[in-house]
Amino acid sequence: MRKVLACALLLFAVIGIQAAEITVFAAASLTDSLKEIAASYEKQSGDKITFNLGASSTLARQIEAGAPADIFFSADEAQMDSLAKKGLIDPATRKSRLGNTLVVVVAADSTLQINSAADLTNAAVKQIALADPKAVPAGVYAKAWLTQQQLWPAIEPKVVPTENVRAALAAVESGNVEAGVVYKTDAGISRKVKVAYEVPAKDAPDISYPMALVKESKQPDAAKNFLNYLDSKEAGDIFKKFGFVLRD
Amino acid sequence: MNLLLKNISLPLANFTLEVNVEMQKRVTAVFGPSGAGKTSLLDLIAGLRRAQSAFIQLDENVLADTAKNYFVPTRRRGIGYVPQDLALFPHLSVRQNLLYGRNSRVATGPLFSFEHVVEVLEIQPLISRGVTELSGGEKQRVALARALLSSPRLLLLDEPLASLDAPLKEKIIPYLARVRDEFQIPMLCVTHDRFEALALADEIVVLVGGQVLQTGPVLDVFNRPASAEVAKFVGVETLHPGQIESVNEGLATVSVNRTTLTALAPPTASRDVFVCIRGEDVILQHAAAVASSVRNRLSARIVALRTEGALVRVELDAGFPLFALITRPACVELALREGGQVTALIKTPAIHLVPR
Amino acid sequence: MTSDEWQIVWFTAWVSALSTLVILPFGLALAWALARRDWPGKSIVETFVSLPLVMPPVATGLILLKLFGRRGGIGGFLHDKFNLDVIFTWRAVLLALSVMSLPLLVRAARVAFEEVNPRLEQIARTLGAGDWRVFFTITVPLAARGIVGGMLLAFARALGEFGATIMVAGSIPGKTQTISLAIFQNVQLGDDTHAYRLLGVSVVLAFAAVWCSELFLRRRKK
Repeated sequence: MRKVLACALLLFAVIGIQAAEITVFAAASLTDSLKEIAASYEKQSGDKITFNLGASSTLARQIEAGAPADIFFSADEAQMDSLAKKGLIDPATRKSRLGNTLVVVVAADSTLQINSAADLTNAAVKQIALADPKAVPAGVYAKAWLTQQQLWPAIEPKVVPTENVRAALAAVESGNVEAGVVYKTDAGISRKVKVAYEVPAKDAPDISYPMALVKESKQPDAAKNFLNYLDSKEAGDIFKKFGFVLRD
Repeated sequence: MNLLLKNISLPLANFTLEVNVEMQKRVTAVFGPSGAGKTSLLDLIAGLRRAQSAFIQLDENVLADTAKNYFVPTRRRGIGYVPQDLALFPHLSVRQNLLYGRNSRVATGPLFSFEHVVEVLEIQPLISRGVTELSGGEKQRVALARALLSSPRLLLLDEPLASLDAPLKEKIIPYLARVRDEFQIPMLCVTHDRFEALALADEIVVLVGGQVLQTGPVLDVFNRPASAEVAKFVGVETLHPGQIESVNEGLATVSVNRTTLTALAPPTASRDVFVCIRGEDVILQHAAAVASSVRNRLSARIVALRTEGALVRVELDAGFPLFALITRPACVELALREGGQVTALIKTPAIHLVPR
Repeated sequence: MTSDEWQIVWFTAWVSALSTLVILPFGLALAWALARRDWPGKSIVETFVSLPLVMPPVATGLILLKLFGRRGGIGGFLHDKFNLDVIFTWRAVLLALSVMSLPLLVRAARVAFEEVNPRLEQIARTLGAGDWRVFFTITVPLAARGIVGGMLLAFARALGEFGATIMVAGSIPGKTQTISLAIFQNVQLGDDTHAYRLLGVSVVLAFAAVWCSELFLRRRKK
């Protein structure tokens, strides 16, 4: 009996000493929600989570170049697909759980009225901040929406492309642009902007946030544990609190 | 001209320049060793420096008065300046240099025609050349012409001959004399060369260590230095006007009062000269007719004896005032006393003739 | 090279050239004051002028963003009085390039002015020239080599500016995108071919500008 206890204690100690450190490359729009989720996970598991947050396109390039990531949490399928094509992620672990809504934001003290997509073509709106529509998911989604509304050619000259969606938010906050298209979840965490118009689901493109294990991960087991946690009800509640849409 | 410098006080590196002097002759030399503050004085007069305390007046115009906080800026003073390094503008041609001061609206002095100045200083062939191609003497004349062409009412010259070798000096002095005589502009020359001062100036201001030690007509100051210090810098012992009677095979016969001397003929043709003899070059002896190489043997009466350290300064009357410097033991050995007769020997090359 | 790429090269070149011209009057005045005058607090001015050289360019860009944004001291004034926006326009590119390249011009011009013999300026005054005439006919011509060398150096610096530019102008294709911003964006998009072409142009331009600058700044061996 004492031998079993001793072994159990030893095992426990070994596990305790070998707490893993996992690096998650995640889309900028997930910043606040992920930080809260990670905090609660760290308490439970003893593992440490570090984040590299930015535009999904930039993060995908970094992973391609060999940056040390354990998990990739992208804001659209296209970036995850490009990594999958190159065999850089484990397809078995890929899961798309989250969705989001696009909104048009203006500065909190702005008097602009945006009641439809067409209002963005008004002369009063001189510049619109978007995450770079060439590759950053938030911008790609915004462009898809405006293209579907057949307004993209009129709006494109006004676009100020930013590096990621949070930078677009900051541009609106600073007052240097009249409006911006960001996620509803981003508008939610900022007190310096207000939502002028929420893109209705029928007009919006399908927004999907896939997550997966990076094949080159040095901590695949610990990473898989965290991925499972991200899929859990606890995490789901936190995501919903921040305004994300759960697809399952 | 009348240049009044009153209450000048300017602290310099090793001493303070303190000057209180009035210059009234047309050409004044400021004479003193290097570092005496001479260039600083010129800078003050030109307005390139400001003194702690100064009152500067040229004729009826006050140029600076620190008591009333009054200061006329350089460009309005109408004072031409030829600095020691000449400061010709290297990026402009000779012609452009010459004409630089022409357009200023402050034509305070008489206007000289371009052709006249160029002719007097003989710089016609240099006009279209670049400044860096000129020789030392040519640069000097161009700098002088440039200052003249700005119609100044006073010309300042800082050591105009200092950077030239001896033959060149002899060539430039006539130009300066010509400027003085043809253009009649008051000139203030700074020099540490007594022959320069002699050749050009009417009056001399002796400046040593920032202090004015003596002023007066050139000959007076050189012949009767007010103190041993001045004498030390003035240096020449015997200085007397003379006339070249004839020149034969490079030797000149010079009459000083009624005495005749043989000296080396100067390159210039002028008859009126100053005869300069250093006291160290005068040999005194008692015996007269012994065959020797010395051409000048003068019978002289001892007028005065003055001890100066290890030497004795002997003032003689050889038909003109002649000074000799001999050692004290020699004086004792020859039993020299006032009123006695001696023969003074002066070698021909030791007699320096400065054209007047 | 595509026409878009040529547009980027052309834009970078003319904004850099314009910024060099824009900083010239102020830069020369500042360089002259530092070379010829003394005043209490001179060393503080010297330090401030050198700051953009050593501070992280993005930090300088951040300061400019705050000052010239619509809510900033200068930007607010321009927006309210003249309806003029700086941030996210080509004017912001001009601003960033000017601020970042000014110290190089000032340093080179200052050395050039210090090498002009002050005696020449003094003599010019005795000849009746006023301060402006002395400056333009004596000081500047004699310092011209150093000034031109400094201008070329400033131009080269402006060509390659990134950190401050991306802060205040963003990287708007066709409007504010310079060569360096375009290279950065292309790499982020994974468009390496475009990036390498622009990189090549960038190297050629910088090489030419610096080489010419050295020709002017190198001391003439006597």
